[in-house]
Amino acid sequence: MRINIILEVYKFKVKAFFGALRASRASLALLLVYTLGFIPSVIGFSMSITNAVKQGNINLELYAELLVAIVSALILFVIMLALRGYAVFEYEQNFIFTSPIQPREFLMASMFADFTASLIFVNPVFIFYAIIVLSLGLKFHLALLMLLAILIFIFMLFFLKTSLSIIKILYEGLLINSIILALAFIFLLPALRLLVDFPLKFSSLPYPSTFLAKILLDIIFNEEPQMSNFLGLIFYFSLVFLLFIFASGKNFFPLSKYIPFVSPFDTSMRMQTLKMKKSIKIFSRISLFFQLNLKSRSLLLFLMRKEIIRIMREGSLFAIILLYLIAALISISVRQASQPPQVSSFFPLTLLVGIYSLIVPLMLVSNWRSSEFENLWIPLTSGVDVRTVVRALLYDFILISSAIPALLILILSIFSNTNPISSLILIVSTSMIGCSVNLYVMINFIGKKRRGTPTLLIGWVSLSLSALLLAPTYLSIVLSVYLELGDLVAILLSAAMLIYSALIMRYFLRKMEKSVTNIEI
Amino acid sequence: MNPIVELIDVWKSYDGTQALRGLNLEVYRGEIFGLLGPNGAGKTTTLKIIVGLLKMDKGIVKVNGIDVSEEPYEYKKLIGYVPETVSLPDYLTVEEFLIYSGKIREVPNEQIKERMNYFIRLFELGEKRKSLIISLSRGMRQKVAITSALIHDPDLLILDEPFIGIDPMGQHIIKDLFNERVKDGKTIFVSTHMLDTAERLCNRVAIIHKGQNVASGDLKNLQQLSRSGENATLEEVFLRLTEEAEK
Repeated sequence: MRINIILEVYKFKVKAFFGALRASRASLALLLVYTLGFIPSVIGFSMSITNAVKQGNINLELYAELLVAIVSALILFVIMLALRGYAVFEYEQNFIFTSPIQPREFLMASMFADFTASLIFVNPVFIFYAIIVLSLGLKFHLALLMLLAILIFIFMLFFLKTSLSIIKILYEGLLINSIILALAFIFLLPALRLLVDFPLKFSSLPYPSTFLAKILLDIIFNEEPQMSNFLGLIFYFSLVFLLFIFASGKNFFPLSKYIPFVSPFDTSMRMQTLKMKKSIKIFSRISLFFQLNLKSRSLLLFLMRKEIIRIMREGSLFAIILLYLIAALISISVRQASQPPQVSSFFPLTLLVGIYSLIVPLMLVSNWRSSEFENLWIPLTSGVDVRTVVRALLYDFILISSAIPALLILILSIFSNTNPISSLILIVSTSMIGCSVNLYVMINFIGKKRRGTPTLLIGWVSLSLSALLLAPTYLSIVLSVYLELGDLVAILLSAAMLIYSALIMRYFLRKMEKSVTNIEI
Repeated sequence: MNPIVELIDVWKSYDGTQALRGLNLEVYRGEIFGLLGPNGAGKTTTLKIIVGLLKMDKGIVKVNGIDVSEEPYEYKKLIGYVPETVSLPDYLTVEEFLIYSGKIREVPNEQIKERMNYFIRLFELGEKRKSLIISLSRGMRQKVAITSALIHDPDLLILDEPFIGIDPMGQHIIKDLFNERVKDGKTIFVSTHMLDTAERLCNRVAIIHKGQNVASGDLKNLQQLSRSGENATLEEVFLRLTEEAEK
C-alpha cells in the first residue's frame, strides 16, 4: 500500500465533503446547527446517567440490556446499509477508479475520510464521553480504555459496512443476500429489546454489543473492565478486519454502483431532484388517468389542473394522505386510551392537525421547488402573466392542504358525533397562512442571489414565520375548547380567524406577485 | 430595415463576473443569425437577457421595436426559446406538455392540435406522444423542447446550442425546418459552438468575446475584418478574431 496515495485521496475526499461549506454562508449556519444542536440533550442525558451512578440507584442489568440493544441497533443499521452494495460518488468512479489506485488503498482513504466526516455527526458521543469521564472522576487508564473500546467499535462498524457491501456486489445472488439478512436478523433481536420486553437476556449472550456494553458499564462504575470482554470485542474486530482484508483484495471497481455526489452541506437541489425523479416514475403510472387537456376554459383553472397533476404524479398527494391517516390513527388510539375522556374527545385530532397542517404546506412548497425550479424557464419565457402562475400554485396548495384533512375530520366527526368546527377552522387557517408564507419565502429564495440557501434553512424560516402568524388562531382554538365558549362567541371567533387568515394570505399573495416578476434564473 | 432584435450597450455582471461589457448586436427579420464565442464569452447570458430570464444592469434590449425592460410580457409572444440545458416537466406526457406550452401562450385549441400533430410527425415522436417525458432520451427531449418553442408559430426562434444530443437525421430535419421558416419571413437566432454548422446554416454571425461584440456580418465581411483571406473558413476567422480580441 502506498501511504502517499492514500493521503492524497483522503485529502481530496475530505475537501469534497466539506467543500460545499464554501458555497454559502448559510451552510456554515447549518454546520453550527449540526455540531451544536445535540449538545444540550447530550449534556442532559449524560448528567442523568452520572447522577444515577453517583446516587447508586441504578439497575445494572437493565442498563446492560438497553445498552446492548442500542449498540445492536447500530450494527443492524450498518448491515442494512450494506444491502444496497458498495456505492461510490460519481466523481470517484470517473476520476479515482480510472487511475492506477489499488482497491485497498482507495478503501483505506475512504474509511479515514468517512471517519473524519462523521466526527461532526458523532461529536455528541465524545461530549458524552468527556462528561462521563470528568463528572465521575474516572481513573486515567480507565478513561483511555473506554475511548479505545469506543474507537475499536466505530472502526469495526466501518470495516463491517465496507466488507459486506463489497461482498454483496462481488457475489450478487440469493445466497449472499440471505447471509446478510440472517446476520441482520441476529442483531435485530437484541435491538428489538428497545421496543419489546423479551424473556431472553441478550446481555448474557456473546454479541459484540454485549462485550462493548459490559466494558462501558464496568468503566462507568470505575471498575477494571473484565479482560474477557475486551478479548471478546477484539475477537469480533479481528474477524471483521479479516473480512475486510479479503474484500479489499478484490477488484470491485467495475462492479461498484455510483451515486450522485451529496454532502450534508451541499446547497444544491440535486439530491431532492433525483429523489423526485424516482417518485415520478412510481406515482405517474397510477395517476395517468387524470390528464391535462384542452378543455379548461380559463388559464387559471388550466394551470391549477396542471399543478394538481404534478402533485399527484410526484407522490406528494400520496404522502399527505398517508400523513393524515397516521394522524387519524393516533388520535383514535389516544381517544380510546384516555380514561376518563379528555376535555373534548376531538381535541387530540385538532392538536395533531394543528401540527401537521404546518408541515404540509412546507412539504408542498419544497416539493414544488425540487420538481419545478429547473422548469421555471418555460412560463418565464412564454409571455404568460406569471402572477397567474403563482395564484394557481397557491390556490392548489391551499385546496390540497385543507381538503384532505377536512374530509378526514368530517368523517371522524360523523362517527364520533362531535362538532368539527374548531378543527376545520384550524385547517383552513393554517392552509391559507402556511401556504402563502411558505410560497412567499421560497419564491424569495429561488432567485440567482439566494439560490445557495439550503432547503432546510428556508424551511425553518417558513415554519417559524407561519407559526408566529398562526399564533392567534391556535390561541383562539385552545381558548374556545378550554373555556367552553358559547356557540355564538365561538362562531364569531371562528369568523374573525378566517378573515384574519384571508387577509394574511392576500398580503403575501400581493408580495409574491411582485417578487415573481423579478426572478432571475 | 428595422432589426427584430437590437441590443444597445448591454452590461451584465453576476457572481463577481462581468459577463457582458457594453454589447451591441442587431438581428434582422428573415435571417438565421449565429451567435458565436468561446466558453464564458457571454452567449447564454445574452440569450437569457433577451428572453427575460435575466435582467441587464445597463443598456437597451428591443425585440420587434419593443423595449423589453418597459414591456416585459407582450414581446414574449413573438419568441420561442430553447435553452442550452433543456429541463422539461418529467411528470407530463409529451402531448400534455405541448398542450401546456400552447395554452400558456394563449394559442387557440385548434392550432395547438394542428401544430402538435405536425411536429410530432416531423420529429417522429408519434410513439412517444402519450409517454411521460421522464422516459425520453436526451435527443427526444430536445425535439420536444423545439416543438414547444414553435407551438405558437413565433416570429423569432431563439435557440442555445440546439443540436447537442440530436442525431444526424434529427439535425438535418431541424436545419430544413429553420430554412423553411426563414423563407416565410421568420427569424432564427442561434448560439452555437459548432462552427462548421454555423458556417453552412447562418446568413450572418456575430463573434462575441468577454462580453463584447468582436465582429459581426456574413462570412465575407468577417474574412475581410480578420484579414484571413477569402478562402478562410469560419473556424479560421473565429480563431483569428478571438485571438486579436484577447490581445
